Amino acid sequence: MSVFLDPALFQSLPRFFTPILLAALGGSLCQRAGVFNIALEGLMLIGAFAAMAGSYAFQSWETGLLFGAAAGLGGALLFAWFSVWRGGDDIVVSIGLNILALGGSAYLLRAVFGARGSFDSPRIIALPQFGLPGLRDIPVIGGAFAAQSLLVWLALFLVPLLAALLARHSFGLRLRAAGENPVALAAAGVNARVIRTEALVICGLLCGLAGAQLSISNVTLFTEGMSSGRGWIAVVIVLMCNARMWLVLLTAVVFGFIDALGFRIQGLGMPQQFTDALPYLLALGVLALAYRNHRNPAKDQG
Amino acid sequence: MPDPHPQRPFNKAALGRLVDVSRAFGPLKAVDAVSVDFFAGEILAIVGENGAGKSTLMNILFGMLAPDSGHVEVAGHKVSFRSSRDAIKAGLGMVHQHFMLFPGLSVLENILVGAEKATRSGLVDYRARRAEVQELMQQFDFSLSLDQPVGKLPVHARQQVEIMKMLFRAARLIILDEPTAVLTPHEKDRLFQMLGRLRDDGRAVVIITHKLDEVMEVSDRVMIMRAGRKIEETPTRATSRDQISRAMIGREIASPPKTDSRKAGIALEVRGVSVARPEGPLALENLSLSLREGEVFGIAGVAGNGQKPLVEALVGLVPLSAGQITLGGVEITSLDVGARRRMGLAYLAEDRMRVGLADAARIYENTIAGREGSRAFSRRGWLRMRAARQSGAEVIRDYDVAASGPMQRVSDLSGGNKQKIIVGRELAAEPSLVIAENPSWGVDVGAMAFIHQRLLAAATRGAAVLLVSSDLEELFALSDRVGVLYDGRMNGIFPRAELDAYRIGAAMAGKIGGAA
Amino acid sequence: MTLFRHRLFWPLALTGAVLVSLVLFPSLWQMVLAFLDGAAGGRGHFNFFSTLSRTSLIGGMALSVFLSFRAGLINIGGEGQLVIGGLVAALVGIYLPGPGVLVGVVSLLAAMLAGGLWALLAGFFERVLSVPLLVGSLLLNYPASFIASYLVSHPLRDVNSGIAQSHRIAHGAYLPRFSGTILDYGVLLMAAFGIAIIVVDRSRVFGYRARMQGISPEFARASGFPVTRMYFQILFGSGAIAGAVGFVAVFGIAHRYVDGMLVIPLYAWTGVVAVLLARVNPLWVLPAAFLFAALQTGAAGLEHSAGIPREMAQVVQGVIILFLAAGGQRFLQNTTGEGA
Repeated sequence: MSVFLDPALFQSLPRFFTPILLAALGGSLCQRAGVFNIALEGLMLIGAFAAMAGSYAFQSWETGLLFGAAAGLGGALLFAWFSVWRGGDDIVVSIGLNILALGGSAYLLRAVFGARGSFDSPRIIALPQFGLPGLRDIPVIGGAFAAQSLLVWLALFLVPLLAALLARHSFGLRLRAAGENPVALAAAGVNARVIRTEALVICGLLCGLAGAQLSISNVTLFTEGMSSGRGWIAVVIVLMCNARMWLVLLTAVVFGFIDALGFRIQGLGMPQQFTDALPYLLALGVLALAYRNHRNPAKDQG
Repeated sequence: MPDPHPQRPFNKAALGRLVDVSRAFGPLKAVDAVSVDFFAGEILAIVGENGAGKSTLMNILFGMLAPDSGHVEVAGHKVSFRSSRDAIKAGLGMVHQHFMLFPGLSVLENILVGAEKATRSGLVDYRARRAEVQELMQQFDFSLSLDQPVGKLPVHARQQVEIMKMLFRAARLIILDEPTAVLTPHEKDRLFQMLGRLRDDGRAVVIITHKLDEVMEVSDRVMIMRAGRKIEETPTRATSRDQISRAMIGREIASPPKTDSRKAGIALEVRGVSVARPEGPLALENLSLSLREGEVFGIAGVAGNGQKPLVEALVGLVPLSAGQITLGGVEITSLDVGARRRMGLAYLAEDRMRVGLADAARIYENTIAGREGSRAFSRRGWLRMRAARQSGAEVIRDYDVAASGPMQRVSDLSGGNKQKIIVGRELAAEPSLVIAENPSWGVDVGAMAFIHQRLLAAATRGAAVLLVSSDLEELFALSDRVGVLYDGRMNGIFPRAELDAYRIGAAMAGKIGGAA
Repeated sequence: MTLFRHRLFWPLALTGAVLVSLVLFPSLWQMVLAFLDGAAGGRGHFNFFSTLSRTSLIGGMALSVFLSFRAGLINIGGEGQLVIGGLVAALVGIYLPGPGVLVGVVSLLAAMLAGGLWALLAGFFERVLSVPLLVGSLLLNYPASFIASYLVSHPLRDVNSGIAQSHRIAHGAYLPRFSGTILDYGVLLMAAFGIAIIVVDRSRVFGYRARMQGISPEFARASGFPVTRMYFQILFGSGAIAGAVGFVAVFGIAHRYVDGMLVIPLYAWTGVVAVLLARVNPLWVLPAAFLFAALQTGAAGLEHSAGIPREMAQVVQGVIILFLAAGGQRFLQNTTGEGA
């Protein structure tokens, strides 16, 4: 086993968990606000496409980041309009958005870049990377703290920030209230729709950034469907963590670790399909564990 | 109890008033040109049947509905609230019949939502807010532990949270919609003391109710509504219970006479039944019960003391962790719902929209449910459409349902008519055991009398009826015996001759009950 | 007047705008012709039959989705069930010796069984391990794809072909085609499924119970319907139809299993979209599937002659769902997932 646990593995860990973490943080806010957002996959995908396009068009990672976030935001606003304001079912809207993202990014890839399947170019500038001076010198795991993208640090910073937002901020209180009982929130003079839209906006931004991590940091290219199920893993994390942000981080790291490990094992000759399937099997197992208390739900008296 | 009718000079300037307010829903005039003043230091009772327009009137006052004509005044100024937010800002507060709480949030958080007094950066100073809330609690003699999740509190404590919310927002005009519906008699007394303190503090208190004893007990002034109109407004001490009742109903409704139709045979035998919760103590513990044929057995208790698990255990919706149930001498403990129904079980569910009915389906699709596989409605798995439609038409005819025909969707019907569909379906099969859960909730007085009469008729025919109700009047009117559930156990069984609200109330609150 | 405003204004305005722009911009007219040609034209209406062939796949997936949605079961794992069905069909088709008809029939049954079992697996996760069906069925799509992908890339690969695909199935077992067209008899199978579903939905006690359960699962339970048995029957049936679609794709069209052939065209998701467009009404499921099939083949035609990428069809589908969702009607009861 120690064959795999080398510095390079830990060096690669953050780039695997960061996209999942960002999307799961956003999804957790939505869940707390009472929006069942399973369009994380699609939002991430349009973020990835837009970040690549922004970075390519201006040959700058800043615009890439901006485009990615803006595209995620736009997708989330679309979600909010059709679901929160027009009363559409969250699941149906999510399905629509996911298909739209898949088709739209493939369409634009061909219409704008004339490429089919994937597009890469030296004009796509990657995000800058930093390391943490003290921690990166720790043996073996120190790699996780060396030369990671801007977004890795942002994602880690967001964990305590969002936890504090929920616990200490009036917006956090209202957000939790919106998920518990929107009618009661209205009676308290707060519009749950506004709160939910705000939660979606944050979620959209984070998913857009998650996409940027994929297309202008992990690699500098865009592939059709490159979110490849990470959004669904994020949904699983959302379902099992119930907006406990530190737990979200921990679970995202575990999934990232499985991804990273799978990548290494692949290098050793294991068929790619097996390692690719691992996170989903893990997700099923983890959910079964998380839901074990929900079994036999004899309704609790209200 | 403080003197309910103290001599005190009313502050004649009204805190708030409704002036000539009307509101229609389609052709229905829910509120028709009603004016009323709300005075500081006074408890006003607004009474009327279901559908008399009380709630609509209060929703207009509280900014949740806009009036078609007329207006609202607060402190002498005309206002037009666009939402309850405006009303709250103007010093109004309302405790809705269905509490407006967040079960997963703590008591303190529930009180603060929407009134956080956050700093400019949006942070909430929970410590300072906690101190303020505690001071208010002391002033009005509340006892709540602020960190508990509201979902875990008993109902009367949740009501205190609701009142606390209004006090924290410094509400001057306080509206309570059917505040006693969920309380035991003793809790009711405590609530009324609290309302007295609010009045003495110089606030205007409005209670909406249809229980006349309470009107006489607590209010200073009473306003009676019928069919959207204000019928009468008078100081409480200048009127009587009977006068109010006549003005409220406007017609005579004969309550069905109750006769003892109990027969010798045992219909239902429940022995040592326990039901588990996912975690924590048993939801129902070692409960035994025996119903004779033709007997109406009432179940009283504060909501959440085991009524739901008892009903679901009898119907077959939850597994037992111990005990035995026999129906007509046959053990049914391990049978599923369908098998129990085929043996003569009928179930009038409290949650009509989801459990009792398929709301979006047609009437006939609802009236055949439970017997869809019987020979009456199917042959070799094929539905007999004509017979099915016929059954819908029969329920409409026999139960006087206001509907266009069996093809109409249930969702188009009023609450009373929906309940008639359920009663019609369940009683059509001539059941031997009827389990009725709050069968007259939210239906008008006429439909209620009709449903009561049908239940008694079923008992006369020989069916055993288990009547679970949170309305003591209903239980007293129909039951041969009343059992009180407390904390998942049977805390006393009272025969008809010994039915007394305060003794039953004591049993509902967990004090030792009677036995028979 | 209000009828005009609410019901007719937008459709009329839209039609008018389309007509006017067709007159003003002749190139647009060319594009419409190209689209129609792609969906229904070609020599001997070749494209029309290709649309029908696609309809049989999309329509089959739509029927599979319909079956579970009607009963309130949010099974969105059709893709995995389809892939497993197609894979098993190909395996039987390649390795089972015997007369072609027998191989075909056995393959169909095996594919249906495999698809049904894969769906039951998601049911097992929900009923025994409390993982919501929505998530469980979806997550199972990925292992299904990876298993199939692995098998046709490594042990079962037709190495000579140079791409990741299996060997061909026995020639005698091919689904027959309507003479002179590329349309195979699979479309008849799907039509039969469609008719059977309409009949069961309307006239059988089972269909009645499933419909009521879709409206309110609590009502179904309290009415004494055999809900547990129905749950597994419906899931199995839903998966079995998806498996049959996999069979048709292999035996009627590709004659082998090609990696990604059932996933990349989004057949399963298009089926979901078709059911939503049909407002979960069995009569409209197949027509809606035809519409989307035509949209896809038409878009392919448009790509051919006007250079507009065919992914436009997916964009249109996504937009349609969004507007359908906002139409106010709730299609799906019983949506699991905690935050909802």
